[in-house]
Parts: sequence; C-alpha cells; structure tokens
Amino acid sequence: MSNLNHLETKDINVWFGERHVLRDVSLQFQNNHVTALIGPSGCGKSTFIRTLNRMHELIPTAGLSGQVLLNGEDIYAQAVDPVNVRINIGMVFQKPNPFPTMTIRENILSGLKLSGRKIEDGDGLVETSLQRASMWNEVKDRLSEPALSLSGGQQQRLCIARSLAMDPNVLLMDEPCSALDPGSTRRIEETILELKENMTIVIVTHNMQQAQRVSDSTAFFLSENGNPGEVVEFDTTENVFKRPKDDRTNEYVNGRFG
Amino acid sequence: MTDTLAQPRPKNAAPWEKLGSRVRFASWITSLVPAAIFVAAWLGLQLDFMAALLAIFLPIQLAFGAWAGFYSYGRKGVNDGLLMVVTFFFSTFVLVLLASVIWSVISEGAAALSPHFIYQNNRYITGTTGLEIGGAGHAILGSVIITGITTVITVPLAIATAVYLTETRDGARGVVRTLLQALAGLPSVVAGLFIYSMLIVSGWSSQVGVMASLALIPLMLPTISRVAEEALRLVPSELRNGALALGAPSYKAFFMVTLPAAKSGIVTAVLLGVARIIGETAPLILTAVIANETNANPLAGGMATLPTYIYNFLYLGDATSLQRAWGAALVLLIFVGILFVGARVASATRVGSKPKRRKK
Ligand SMILES: Nc1ncnc2c1ncn2[C@@H]1O[C@H](COP(=O)(O)OP(=O)(O)OP(=O)(O)O)[C@@H](O)[C@H]1O
Ligand SMILES: [Mg+2]
Repeated sequence: MSNLNHLETKDINVWFGERHVLRDVSLQFQNNHVTALIGPSGCGKSTFIRTLNRMHELIPTAGLSGQVLLNGEDIYAQAVDPVNVRINIGMVFQKPNPFPTMTIRENILSGLKLSGRKIEDGDGLVETSLQRASMWNEVKDRLSEPALSLSGGQQQRLCIARSLAMDPNVLLMDEPCSALDPGSTRRIEETILELKENMTIVIVTHNMQQAQRVSDSTAFFLSENGNPGEVVEFDTTENVFKRPKDDRTNEYVNGRFG
Repeated sequence: MTDTLAQPRPKNAAPWEKLGSRVRFASWITSLVPAAIFVAAWLGLQLDFMAALLAIFLPIQLAFGAWAGFYSYGRKGVNDGLLMVVTFFFSTFVLVLLASVIWSVISEGAAALSPHFIYQNNRYITGTTGLEIGGAGHAILGSVIITGITTVITVPLAIATAVYLTETRDGARGVVRTLLQALAGLPSVVAGLFIYSMLIVSGWSSQVGVMASLALIPLMLPTISRVAEEALRLVPSELRNGALALGAPSYKAFFMVTLPAAKSGIVTAVLLGVARIIGETAPLILTAVIANETNANPLAGGMATLPTYIYNFLYLGDATSLQRAWGAALVLLIFVGILFVGARVASATRVGSKPKRRKK
C-alpha cells in the first residue's frame, strides 16, 4: 500500500472566468512525504490544492488545463468519477466543518455513509480514527454528544479523524491550524508526522516554522503584479529555507516579503 | 475524592443586571406617572379609550421616556428612552390586539363547543336550530382531508423548487423565482376560479374535495418554497463542501448534510404553508361547495370545510348560527395551535439528545 500514494501535477493552469490565476504548476508529491505549499496571500495555494481532489470544479467560473496524476493515472480523465477521486484524496479545510446535526461518532462514520460504503466494524473504526488524530482519550466518553459541543481545536481534529476514517492515499490540508491555539497546532503537527508513514500529505501553511517542522519538501508560490501565480521554487524543505536559489524565496522565507 | 475548587454559583452572579438608584428611580416614575395621568383623563374626563391612549398617554409617555433617558444617562440616553417607549408601546399594542382577537374567539366560541359539535354534521340543521344538536364534524373532516391532500402534493413540489433554486446554477432560476413571487400574490379566488372554470364547468370533473385541494396548491407552493429556500440558503457552504470532499455524490450530500441542517426551517416552511391555506374560503366554495353531510370521499360529492362552515352560518345570521360560526372558528384556532406546537416539538429534537455512555 505504501507505494501507491504517488501524486504528481503536470502544467496545471487555472482560470476563474477569464482571469488566469495559476500558471504551469508541475509538482511531484513523493510517496509518504509531507509537502508544504507556502506563499503570500492570494497567490493561489488554496486554488491549487483544490485542483488536487477535484473540489476546484465546484466553483461555477472555474477553468483548468493540465494533468493531476495519482499513481500515474490522470484524475481528470474522462472515465474517472470525481467521487472516487475524493474518496482516495481526503481534504481538511481551513475552518473546522464538522456536521452539526451529527454526533461525534456519526461524524467519523459519515464519510463511509456519504460515499455509500459498508461499515463493517463501526466501533473499531471510530476508535482507530480518533486515535490516529490523537483525540481518542479526550472524547471516548462523549461519542454520542453533538460534534459542535467540542472546542474549535477538537473540531478540527475531528475533521481530520473523519478524513482518516476513509483511509485515503493522500491527505490535503489547507491551513488546518490557522484557527487554532499553539497546543492544538502542536498536536496536529504530531499527527501529521505519524500519518505520513501511511500516506502522502500536502499542507498549505502561512507559518514558516510549521512548514519546517512538518514538511519534507516545500513549494513556494508567488503571483507578482497581478500575474498568475507560479511555483518559484520547489525543493527539499531544508534547501528552500536554508539555501534558497531564488532571491524572492529568500526574502519570503526570511519574512521580508508580502 | 479529590478536592474541587469549583464553587456554587452565588445568587447575584449577574453584575450587569444591577441598576443604579438613579436609573431605578427614573424608570419607576416613567412607568407610573403617565399611566396615572392616562387613567385620570380617561375616567375623569370621560374620553374615548383609544383617543385618550393615542392623544394623552403616548405623548406623555414619550416625554417621560426622553426625560428618564436624559436623567439616567445624559444626552445620549434621550434617543434610547424614546425608542424604548415607542417599541414597548407598539409591541404591547399589537400583543393586546392579538390577545383580544384570540380571546373573543375563545369566549364567543366556547358556548357552541361541545362533544357533539366536534363529531356531528349539519344535516337537518337550519339557522335557528338549537345548539343541542348538529356540529362541524363534517367540516373538520373535510378540512383535514382537503388540507392533507394539498400538503402531500405540494410539499415535495415546493421543496424541490427550493432545492432547484439553491443547489443548482441553472440559468432559469431568476424566472422561476419571479414566477413564485407572482404566484404568492395570486388572489385565492382566482385559483378557485381557474379550477372551477377549467375542470368543473368544462364537465371534466364535478365539485369534489380533490378539486379544492388542487385549487389550494398554487396558494401553498410559493409560501413553502420561499421559506424553505431561505432555510437552505442559510446552511453554510463549508458543510456541503465537507460532504463532497468525503466523496459524497451531490444527492447524498444534500440528503445527509444540507437537508438535516435546514430541517427546522423546512418544518417551519411547511407549517406556514398549512397555515396559509387552512383558512381559505373562496376557492373552497367554488370547488367543493358548502356541504351539510359527512363525506370522507374526496373524489365524489361536495365536502364542507371549517372556513366554508363559518361562512355559511355567518351568512345565515341568526343568533344560534353566529354561535356556530364562532364555535367553528375556535376549532380552527385550536387546530392551528396544535399544528404549531407539534412542529416546534418535531423540529426541536437535538443531536445526541440521549447520551449513551460507552463502557470499557
Ligand atoms: N471563487 C473564486 N472566484 C474568483 N476568483 C477566485 C475565487 N477563489 C479565488 N480566486 C482568486 O484566485 C486567486 C488565488 O486565490 P487563493 O484563494 O487560491 O489564494 P491563497 O494563496 O490560498 O491565499 P490565502 O493565503 O489568503 O488563503 C486570488 O486572486 C483570488 O482572488
Ligand atoms: Mg487559501
């Protein structure tokens, strides 16, 4: 299984209406690596990460060209059902979005129900998913309480657990910690490091320390003077932060930019 | 046992509710003095109640409100005081009006109400027959059947319309929304006339319960779909996206996430729809006639309903007929009351209300 998590994009271009917002993004997300996407606000990181599991096409004016290959197969190929793509490539949003009408337990199992799969061992799945999101001990006695009774940080980890219950090959996270306190942030980072044993992770973050703590590779996005966003530099995290090749990367990672 | 640092809540744990002595003094004066002047003017000068209320009480109360605001909080308190008086005065006014309508229905209708009024029908009853026999049972049955059929047909249509308006990006949505608004302004007698002329006069059908149900559909549809549309629109798009990102087909995301999140709003929508049609009279007279006999078959024979029953006895105009009309109005009121309470209860069931402790 661990060799089936390879994600790659080729010449992704994105438009909203007539406006070109991403140009020729080609990245390789290696097996069981964490890749961080960094860059100033508005450069297209969220837009890009949404193209990776076909959430992008839900925006009415969206346009796209290029390929996204999961284990060599284009997820935008005509025969591919976006539903299957989203089952294999999970997503955690910036704002925690647990389903308010469901309990904690139902939230964890909601993915299986929503995608029409059988639930074999519900209790076991709930426990392992919550454990992988390192919140089992906190909530094991309140599984049938409404999900909204959790704190913001717990809700976000619940959303991570909800994605993990689907057992995805790839997990996409768009600023998962931006609304959280340092403690919750640290726990989510620990979770990410544990999860990468089994899956490929892509994370958007504005926090340079976080990118260095969790990621193996880093891609720096930039959109200058209203031009479409581009990848300026893509390398191992160490190189990007310690030995950037591009001046603009250097300025950005050292906080003298945007 | 570990020691706990938690303390019981003191009685006065709401410091924001303590009022200063100036404020308390001013509000006492402001509530008592204008009321006293008003009572004196009303009883002493033998003024008309409404005239005294609007010409004496309101201006004095406004002046005192402004003074109390100024006295307690300085210049910035004046507008607060005025606004407070205006809102209090008019909301009390409307509340009293509403309560007096309900009270008059209850007090006038109670005389006619009796067990046989609920189940007997109008056979052999004339305007002057005593209240010992006869009742609105056939009309209650008719109202339930006709409203029920309309609801069963309209609710899916109306919710589907609301879903079309909120969940799709179709270009024709604007047209549909405009048509719904136009439909909402349709006079009910026109809906009745349409069914009457197209389906009944033409000989295709006769005056039966179902025709009345059909005539009520265009009246109920816009009410439900507009309120349901608002309820669906209020569901955050993050929830829908969250469901889709978990690999849900759109229809499942809708049924498992969006619809439950909008549930109480949609129940309210259905309720307002029923309330909209349950009192309709004109279309029913045209399509289901004013029957006197009990008829549970919506496909044959005329059918009475509570509004047409009321209309009939108001029209006859004798003392006992008026009592019957009031009695039926009271039954209608009770119906609507039960409906509203039921819907409140139905939509208030919360998530995980029965916590099951997991033992390990
Ligand atoms: N739904 C949309 N319709 C039109 N334009 C959009 C839409 N979403 C994003 N854009 C545009 O695309 C560009 C990239 O936006 P995006 O949200 O991807 O930025 P980002 O890098 O995630 O920024 P941030 O760090 O602030 O989240 C922006 O110029 C934005 O205005
Ligand atoms: Mg973003």
